[in-house]
Amino acid sequence: MKKKLLLFFVLSIISLNSIFAQSRKITGRVTGADDGQPLPGVSIKIQGSDRGTQTDADGKFSIAGVAGEKLVFTFIGYTAQVLTIEGNANYSVKLKSDTRLLTEVVVSDGYVTRAKKAYTGAAATVNGRENENKPFSTPLQALQGEVAGLNISQNSGQPGANMQVRIRGIGSIGADSNPLYVVDGMIINSGDLSRLSTTTNVLAGINQNDIESVTVLKDASATAIYGSRGSNGVIVITTKKGKSGKTQVRFDAEMGSTSNLSLPDAGKPATADQYRTLFLEGLNNYNQIPANAKSQFDVPQTTTSYGLNGKSNNWYDLVTKNGKQQQYNVSLNGGNEMTRIFASTGYFKQEATTVGSNLKRITGLLNIDHTISKRFSLGIGLNFSNVNQNTPSNGGGFANPILSAYFLRPFQLAYNDDGSLNSTRTGNTNFPSVYNPLYIAQNDKKTDSQTRVLGNATLKWNIWDELKYTSYVSIDYNVLEERQFNNAIMGDGRTSGGRGYDYYTRAFNWLTRNQLSYRWNVPNISDFYVDANVGYEAQKSRAYFITSNSNLYPATQPLLTNSINASTPIAGNANTSDYTYDAVFAIVSANYKNKYVLSGSFRRDGSSRFGSSQAFGNFPSVGVAWNVDQESFFAVQKILSSAKLRASYGLTGNSAGLSNYGWRPTAGYGVNYAGSPGQNFNNIGNVNLGWETAKQLDIGVDFGFFNDRLTFVVDYYNKNIDKLILLNPVSLTTGFSNINQNIGAMTNKGFEFAVKGIPVKTKDFTWTTSFNLSLNKNKVTQLVNHAPFLNGNFQVQEGKPFYTWYARQYAGVDPANGDALWYTDGTKTATTNDYTKAQRVAGKQADPKAFGGFNNTFSYKGITLSADIYYNYGNYIQDAWAQYLNDGTQYTFNKYASNMNRWTTPGQITDVPKYVVGGVNNGQSSSFSSRFLYKGDYIRLRNLTIGYDFKDLAFLKKLGISKLYLYGRGTNLWTKTYDKRLPFDPEVGALVNNATTNQILYGVSNLEVPQVKTYTIGLNVGL
Amino acid sequence: MKINKFIYVLIAGAVVSTSCKKSFLDQKPPAAVNIGDAIKTESDMSDAVNGMFNASRSSSLFGRDIPVLGDVLADNAYISSSNSGRYLQENNYTYIVTNAEANNIWSQGYYTILQANRIINTALPTSTAVGLYKGEAYTTRALVYLQLANFYSTPYTVNPGADGVPLVTGYQGAYTKPSRSKLADVYAKIISDLDSAYAIMPPTATSSEYMNKYAAKALQARAYLYKGDYANARDAALEVVNKGGYTLLTAAGFAAYWTNPGPVTNKQETIFELALTNITNNGTAGLDYIYNPAGYGDILSTDPLYNLYSATDVRKSLIINGKRSGAQAYIVNKYSNVSNPNDRDDLKILRYSEVLLTLAESYARLGDMVNALKYLNQLVAQRDPSLVYASTGDQLISDILTERRKELAFEGLRFFDLKRTNVTINRPVEANSAPSITTIATDNFRRLLPIPQAETDVNKSITQNPNY
Repeated sequence: MKKKLLLFFVLSIISLNSIFAQSRKITGRVTGADDGQPLPGVSIKIQGSDRGTQTDADGKFSIAGVAGEKLVFTFIGYTAQVLTIEGNANYSVKLKSDTRLLTEVVVSDGYVTRAKKAYTGAAATVNGRENENKPFSTPLQALQGEVAGLNISQNSGQPGANMQVRIRGIGSIGADSNPLYVVDGMIINSGDLSRLSTTTNVLAGINQNDIESVTVLKDASATAIYGSRGSNGVIVITTKKGKSGKTQVRFDAEMGSTSNLSLPDAGKPATADQYRTLFLEGLNNYNQIPANAKSQFDVPQTTTSYGLNGKSNNWYDLVTKNGKQQQYNVSLNGGNEMTRIFASTGYFKQEATTVGSNLKRITGLLNIDHTISKRFSLGIGLNFSNVNQNTPSNGGGFANPILSAYFLRPFQLAYNDDGSLNSTRTGNTNFPSVYNPLYIAQNDKKTDSQTRVLGNATLKWNIWDELKYTSYVSIDYNVLEERQFNNAIMGDGRTSGGRGYDYYTRAFNWLTRNQLSYRWNVPNISDFYVDANVGYEAQKSRAYFITSNSNLYPATQPLLTNSINASTPIAGNANTSDYTYDAVFAIVSANYKNKYVLSGSFRRDGSSRFGSSQAFGNFPSVGVAWNVDQESFFAVQKILSSAKLRASYGLTGNSAGLSNYGWRPTAGYGVNYAGSPGQNFNNIGNVNLGWETAKQLDIGVDFGFFNDRLTFVVDYYNKNIDKLILLNPVSLTTGFSNINQNIGAMTNKGFEFAVKGIPVKTKDFTWTTSFNLSLNKNKVTQLVNHAPFLNGNFQVQEGKPFYTWYARQYAGVDPANGDALWYTDGTKTATTNDYTKAQRVAGKQADPKAFGGFNNTFSYKGITLSADIYYNYGNYIQDAWAQYLNDGTQYTFNKYASNMNRWTTPGQITDVPKYVVGGVNNGQSSSFSSRFLYKGDYIRLRNLTIGYDFKDLAFLKKLGISKLYLYGRGTNLWTKTYDKRLPFDPEVGALVNNATTNQILYGVSNLEVPQVKTYTIGLNVGL
Repeated sequence: MKINKFIYVLIAGAVVSTSCKKSFLDQKPPAAVNIGDAIKTESDMSDAVNGMFNASRSSSLFGRDIPVLGDVLADNAYISSSNSGRYLQENNYTYIVTNAEANNIWSQGYYTILQANRIINTALPTSTAVGLYKGEAYTTRALVYLQLANFYSTPYTVNPGADGVPLVTGYQGAYTKPSRSKLADVYAKIISDLDSAYAIMPPTATSSEYMNKYAAKALQARAYLYKGDYANARDAALEVVNKGGYTLLTAAGFAAYWTNPGPVTNKQETIFELALTNITNNGTAGLDYIYNPAGYGDILSTDPLYNLYSATDVRKSLIINGKRSGAQAYIVNKYSNVSNPNDRDDLKILRYSEVLLTLAESYARLGDMVNALKYLNQLVAQRDPSLVYASTGDQLISDILTERRKELAFEGLRFFDLKRTNVTINRPVEANSAPSITTIATDNFRRLLPIPQAETDVNKSITQNPNY
């Protein structure tokens, strides 16, 4: 038992060094003067000697000293303070912040909290204050562009949608490259837990205003403590804690509206006139083809049947409208030295512009910290949320309102002559295939009510000053109540007499952690200590699913959608899905004068998700830091005000891509027949399946100028990921299409560059700015037998980025006859009009080469103007539905207006082929090719806020109001794209694997609810 | 003091080192069993048979793609110009290696074969039940191979030495990459599987949703017919007719037969059908849904097929002279339970009528016109009282094929009759058809579906069909 050995090791260190405190012991606590928060890592020295110490995570210190000696407290971001030792032995020290930047003073990774200077990892912290009240339905949206190396993109504008989050590039190829999320020490179930809704996100339950800080752990030194789950990086969210002092009450209110982002010209659906022109031209072109001599379209009859000369409507306008945006938050913060409380409650509502897409959220947070006695303290946290969403279908569903907006012909009429919604299914001016989205929005439901309780308790026991024991237990309890109702008249429920689904999903996840921390001050060397932590952690997640489905509802009782009203039960079943993790870990750090820091971590992880031959994995890391500014020679120069060099190397894993039972070759039940139970060999399994591993090197430098008014953080990393789990296609004759294997390797190498500064600071005017740039180069380095393979529309090939489009190369239109042409191969020397004769060529990448943010805040007296810009460069994105929306192949659907540029006359140069019903090139002209890949580059103004702080208004003080801030805000106000042909918003992200085709929909538009602009006005009141 | 500290440390250490049991990491799947433990009892094997039939009734196989292609690629059905976007490449003979149906039939076919192989290769003590289950697996394997051979290969009647499909008779791990067996070998395996099944199966099943030995024999008659081995086809069909105990569907019972969504237990007409229920069905991907206007209703009967039925033919009632998108259309009403909340139409796989037609054709081709007419007229008498055949020779064979077309329309068999007889497929010009071609000569390479690109990308031992 390795962990027992570890324990003995620790015990022997402790017993050897328990002799301490020869002179009088001075103890105390250091807090910030502004907020009363404890300051860990404050350096304390006895003036004129080489004795010194640092404060611990609770801001406490103890040092030996005699009366009359002077203690010097120094801490980055705070003014140094000197205190003379007098008669008493306990001191409370309050440090004042200085004018320098106050960011990133401590780093808390969920296991230990360290002063930034004593931290060897690459981590960035975003103060929650920076994103408070932003009108985003998940806190992730606000993080976009704020942290170098953190790439966040949204593929749906559905409020509460799941997001694609990548730290330092794609960490995995299988399902999951998302980072691990930790909230107040708890490794939570994250992402989309829904089974019925189009898209949901667990993090939508966290109120941005309850967040104290978000720390993004990036390198191995920072993430290896998370072992087999650390390699995609870790996002550590810390909620607000109570502070002692006067009770503060805060009230925030914000109201506004959402509206459409403007459609790119290339993405506008054809108008009625345009569609008529295309359709008639397509029919005539078809009839003129000699081979069709026997199957002529009757043009006048078709014109009548499709109502081409009748009334029309604009579907995009019909399915989108302005929506409401509002939020209200109240918080209370107070307490004393014994007990501190933070309590808050919030309400958030957002309607997307797409009909039927919305979110409402209620949140509550209660954090209590209580000092039981000198040696014991207890912290309890409770975070409650309820998120209600209505999520219309996406993708190819006929009930998808966005699909309807593009696919429905302008001559299919939403309303009857009497003003009622058209629900007729026959006739080409009605809805024989794609449904009337307005009727669906009014009569169908697709809702999710997600309730979450995150609770944790921490008991700290200072066994003696150097030895601490922390016991932590946390639960993460999620309940999703998902309901879908499809009416009997039109839509997916029409053949079932109406149908309803009720899905109940419970995910109960508990974690317990017991940790011993020991600080050993190396004898006879001042300011040299070793900080060791060992612990044991166990986690189990238990999911429980109830699924019911019923048909045949009362025909004309639209309100009676509960399944109790249905007459035919179709499905009623329950299932479970569990996973466990079991780990021992150790974290050791040696710190000499805050000058040299050497740290190491080790975790041994076991999981039920690992194949039977791979039960445990070991994950070590080592990191060093050199705070050059602590060297005496540093003072010689006057240019730099601070400098720190960092380096780390370590091994981390990713097991989030492993399904709970996926490694087992199994025969699954549930494949029933004629009312009897059935089993099939349906999971190919792989007993050798293990976690993916990443070996990451990070070299970083942090430096500052002008008393740190201008700071830089630069990191280089080289992340070698191997044992990548790939769905390796197998011969279909095995009965399977692919197998999960640890076969691949790839690298992510990159630079991160972050600058923060206060270029101007005068009495009345301040300009703060920050800019970050992330450059990542992803490269696949090893495949089975070095053989390239196909992954949907990507070719995976050694030496190229994983997401490399593999497309036939479009060569434009043959000026002679209007056929689409493709290059026969990558040399682009010859063209063909036969799609099948054109070779696919690996080319552009779907992952951005560079991205980042540029944020500025200007304050003049009480007025504040801030602007956050996000940019993304170097990726190509696909229009997944191009085949339907271009050319005449699928002529019964409406088209992009850009089809008006079609070839019409010999000699004409254009890139849109001749419009023929049934299509040209054997109907292949609009099949996937480089024609439907677009530059994904963009710059977006994510947030623009103008506010005024009503300071020092006498009448407010009379009312007891200490703070009043009024602001107006707009989000997504402006987007610049770089491809005129791009028919949709460039932020498309990645979708999860399409279960039926195993195609990874990455970098594609999938007719999702589009993102929105918001305009809001808000008010912050402090009492 | 120091002792106290040690006690504290020991307490804390004990808590830290408390580890969970090994079983904590062994989380058993809640809805599956390890494959080695999956079939241990007769009941397990029964479950596996159900699973195999569940795989068979997938819309990628007999649940839609196979029967649809069998008629749309032939001259019985076409895709309306008002459609949901499905089967357009088939309607126009423009499919390529990435065609969804070519991929689905192949992959779901081998998935079903995997399930059948598992049952066949599991050793359980011999019993009536085990004989039944293994027989059902043999028959299903033969059924799927016959479909695959007919879709992906040159007809046996044209070239028995042509490439067939890979013969997989047991799971050899994930990494096997078999090449195509010769068509003759595939047929030999189909016939021997059916012999194996016939030898071990009981004569009667619980209902037409399960198989008995005559299902194996009826399928064997079809296989021999496709092979052009008419003597054996005749013998197999006769075995069913003489010993099977089936009764022919009568004219009086015809309408009720087709509106009944469920199984029969009286051996009337249906030899085997795949069950679809109100709970276990293919939903919007179902065969009923693609034919019936209450669903997509994309697929319509061709005018010439409709016109083949005389006014007195009871089968004419299965096609409605109606409208689609305002234009006249012949709407297929063979699968009428699309909106039935209590049950959905089963998928007819083997019917007694087909056996009679096979028997008649075999006799005719062997020169026994008397017997050929006997069985032909036995069927026709129950379909069209005004019709009695008296033709001989090639005309009789042609008449039998016409009756086969009329009887089995929209059940997915027409294309194979046109393939094995190796004739040009003449499709009518339909006013409101999605793009289509009218003449498919015998040398049109698309009479063979492409081997899916997903297979050829992985399996370099496999040969693609010509011209793809």
